[in-house]
Amino acid sequence: MSVTNLLDNWAAVRHFHPIDDKPHDPYKWAMAIDLDACIGCNACAVACYAENNLPVVGREKFQHGQVMHWMRIERYWNEDDREFPDQGAEFMPMMCQQCEAAPCETVCPVGATNHTQDGLNSQIYNRCIGSRYCSANCPYKVRYFNWYDYPTTDNVWPAEMNYQLNPDVTVRGKGVMEKCTFCVQRLRAAEVTAKGEGRIVREGEVQTACQQSCPTNAISFGNLVDPESRVHKQWKAQQVDLAKDEQEKDKQEGGSDLRGYRIFEDLRAYPSVMYLERVRESAV
Amino acid sequence: MIDSEFDRRDFLKVLGWGGAAVALSGCGNTSIEDGKETVVSYVQAKDYVIPGVAVYFNSTCAQCDAGCSITGKIREGRVLKLEGNPESPINRGKLCGLGQASVQHHYNPDRVREPLLRKGDKGETISWEKAYGLINEKLAGVKGDEIAFLTGEMSGHQKVLLGNYMDSLGSGNHFVYEAVAPAVVRAANLKAYGVEMPRYRIDKAKVMLSFGADFLGTWVSPVHFAQQYAAFRKGVDGQRGVLIQAESKMTLTGANADRWLAVRPGTEGILALGIINALGIATGDVAELVKDYDKARVSRDTGVEPSHIDKIAAILRLRSPSLVLAGSAAEGYVHGMQNAEAINLLNHVLGNVGKTIEAPVSVPFPQLAPSKGSTASLKKLNDDLASGKYKVLFSIATNPVFTAPASYKFGDNMAKAGFKVAFAHYLDETALQADLVLPLDSEMEDWGTHVPEYLADAAQINIQQPLMERLHANTRGMGDILLALVKQRKPEEYKAFDDYYGFLRFAMLQNKNALGGAEKDDDNFWNDTLSNGIVKLSPASGALSAKADVGGIKLPAPKEADKQYPLRLIASVTSNLRDGRHTNQPWIQESPDPLTTIVWDSWVEIHPKKAAELGVVEGDIVKVTSRTGSISAQVYLFPGIHPEAVSIPIGRGHEAMGRYAKGYGVNPFSIMDAVFERETGELAMHETNVNIAKTGQRVIVVKDEGPVGGKQMGRRVAVSRSTDQVDLSKEV
Repeated sequence: MSVTNLLDNWAAVRHFHPIDDKPHDPYKWAMAIDLDACIGCNACAVACYAENNLPVVGREKFQHGQVMHWMRIERYWNEDDREFPDQGAEFMPMMCQQCEAAPCETVCPVGATNHTQDGLNSQIYNRCIGSRYCSANCPYKVRYFNWYDYPTTDNVWPAEMNYQLNPDVTVRGKGVMEKCTFCVQRLRAAEVTAKGEGRIVREGEVQTACQQSCPTNAISFGNLVDPESRVHKQWKAQQVDLAKDEQEKDKQEGGSDLRGYRIFEDLRAYPSVMYLERVRESAV
Repeated sequence: MIDSEFDRRDFLKVLGWGGAAVALSGCGNTSIEDGKETVVSYVQAKDYVIPGVAVYFNSTCAQCDAGCSITGKIREGRVLKLEGNPESPINRGKLCGLGQASVQHHYNPDRVREPLLRKGDKGETISWEKAYGLINEKLAGVKGDEIAFLTGEMSGHQKVLLGNYMDSLGSGNHFVYEAVAPAVVRAANLKAYGVEMPRYRIDKAKVMLSFGADFLGTWVSPVHFAQQYAAFRKGVDGQRGVLIQAESKMTLTGANADRWLAVRPGTEGILALGIINALGIATGDVAELVKDYDKARVSRDTGVEPSHIDKIAAILRLRSPSLVLAGSAAEGYVHGMQNAEAINLLNHVLGNVGKTIEAPVSVPFPQLAPSKGSTASLKKLNDDLASGKYKVLFSIATNPVFTAPASYKFGDNMAKAGFKVAFAHYLDETALQADLVLPLDSEMEDWGTHVPEYLADAAQINIQQPLMERLHANTRGMGDILLALVKQRKPEEYKAFDDYYGFLRFAMLQNKNALGGAEKDDDNFWNDTLSNGIVKLSPASGALSAKADVGGIKLPAPKEADKQYPLRLIASVTSNLRDGRHTNQPWIQESPDPLTTIVWDSWVEIHPKKAAELGVVEGDIVKVTSRTGSISAQVYLFPGIHPEAVSIPIGRGHEAMGRYAKGYGVNPFSIMDAVFERETGELAMHETNVNIAKTGQRVIVVKDEGPVGGKQMGRRVAVSRSTDQVDLSKEV
């Protein structure tokens, strides 16, 4: 296979996710985040700490870049050197994009990170050997490595504080990689309940922790292949196709008047999170 | 696992020890943690106790006074996570980061666990009986006038009980202190609308002009306003609401504005009058008032470009109704009241009163309504303490030694009271100065009712109930303590109540019919009340008595720069830290400030232009000196601040309060000048002038943004476009 051929037919060789002959069925978990609704308040990030047993690393380790926030709010300013940021800041909730053709998966020497049937990029902690290749290869830098054994580190979960830990989520030890799971523990619980009742998970039945706390409902989450789900409707209305690396609407001359986009789409990772561009009033 | 500090047994318990560790809230069991109970499985567990399956109880968040309703997830007797209660019209199922973090208040390792009596520099553990006896003893022969109570905002039956106790002592000295309350705006609102806090209908407004009201981050009821804001942005027929924010230091709300205006500190009122002038629709007195405020002058005074004043006037004329807010940035000056009045005048001129400013909802039980906090009350208390007026001081869950400006010398004055009792969760700066420290239950262990100052669509009483049993055997609920104290005075009247729970239940059942329980028997009503966590009521009728009064408005010319102290200090309130009472919750410390992304430390925000002038760069430690004192902190170059101002957030710089708070950052209150708003006597928090000197030290700023400081390097990461390039009507 020549390099040219490989690049020309990239989609055919690189797609691990079920497409065409093997569609996502019955679930494909996906997200849409409205950057015009996001106010950058950090409620989602704190909710994630609470739900997923994320350690608070403290000032020194934070300085070393060892913070473990699976969900972070990135803040950007205008870059045109104006005196004041007179159209405000841009806030960007960033977490694992659950790529369909995840760059992290192919480089894992032990297959600790791989794709699930319902379209999640999963991380198997007890298979992980800590090579950190996945993090190096992640375009979004949303993978977090346990440089320390946080459960035994001073003042991370001292007595009583540990009672808050969520029993549905493992406390990770030293030497493993971790990241946003789309609150897989909630998804699995809902999927199992639904299966027992002979149906699929209904829209609104399961929420991620970040979505649940968001005061402006900027985050919607659900089953992309369920035509009833808000996420499905949003992706459709914004004409963003999961399996494309460039959307038809963006090929139009002058661009589109829709604001749905995915970050680094051209890298062909096929992320499962669609963002809606922030809007600013032109009249003021 | 080798010997580790992480207790494996505890860990197993957390993981759900096969039904062993079942000790649910309200069941009256003693805790297995204190070793008093044998670990035996239930032969038959209660219906709702299924190991591994969570149960949910409703309660009320107590992290701030907004009164969001919460639902606690409880498993094996432990509260794990808080969600918003969808039934509350205030927060509709949502909860901010601060609210989420309150589990870390409950589980905080640094909570006070035993009553402590001062013995020199040490605290000696004593029993509750002895503590109560001591209070009784110290009150003997003391006149009611010589006893003072200091609390934060209080409402509900706890307030009633405190009132009863104070009556029994003959004391009328209740000081309600909130370091960051919108007290000046309340006074201005009372003049303009006839009520202190009307209902703001952000969701109905097409344009919002906010003068430093950080309603998305810190102001009044942020989670509620954030939801209204989401509706406002969606707009009607795809016409998105437009937000314009004018302030000297960018707040979280300012960071979300379509147009952010950097106004010279203190000139917010001038800008408001300038916009009225530019609107050209005012008549009579108002037109007379604003006639000198032409664009050129206003622009010169405020630093806002004339073209922006034109555009704002144009959009306000075009899109109605709009909503104009006066926030904390406008009120923090000697002329704060005039600023707020001038801003409120805009609502009258634009005809917003009655449209986006509605009559407040109030609860038809005035005795339960909140006593509203201010900073003027602390000033009064401080003056009284200085004159030696009080022999006994009760401080209930407040920390004035930390939040009073250093020039008050509050700690020294407090020492003049002979006997000081602090009801506290932590040994904070104030508790450390007390003679007797009484440990409080966390809000997740205690009973209570709350009526928030700002109610949304309906009148409601919020229920607070234990989400789990007491973690520490010797903490007590504030209600229980007050009941015990009032029993000392009036044993006959209160002998029917064993505990505060009994009192609360009795008081609620007494008003069962008025509380909507006429159809139910007592037990059903009470169970439903606890299950809902909210009692919804038909509101007491309220009305606005609006009048556009221009009488009081006399705005001073902008202050000339002080030669010795050329910069204005803005002690900013951030959404994470507020007044610093939650700084010891690690999630809060590690939650990056939304604008600077700094964690675990304080910083001095300086505009890059001013920084270049001063020759400082990011990470330089500078000494910030005011007439009152000086502090040193790291510099952060921040474009969202007026070059004549510098800003230091409040909330950090604790000298006590446990491992997560002590020693992180600096406290701007320690250099704040004691300057007051002229009409209300509130502390003017933006009237301190400072100068800045390099110390020669430099550190790496610990922050979440990368070293390049939030640049996208030409990639499409966070994308923005203007309204004329997007069709929002196609969206779902």
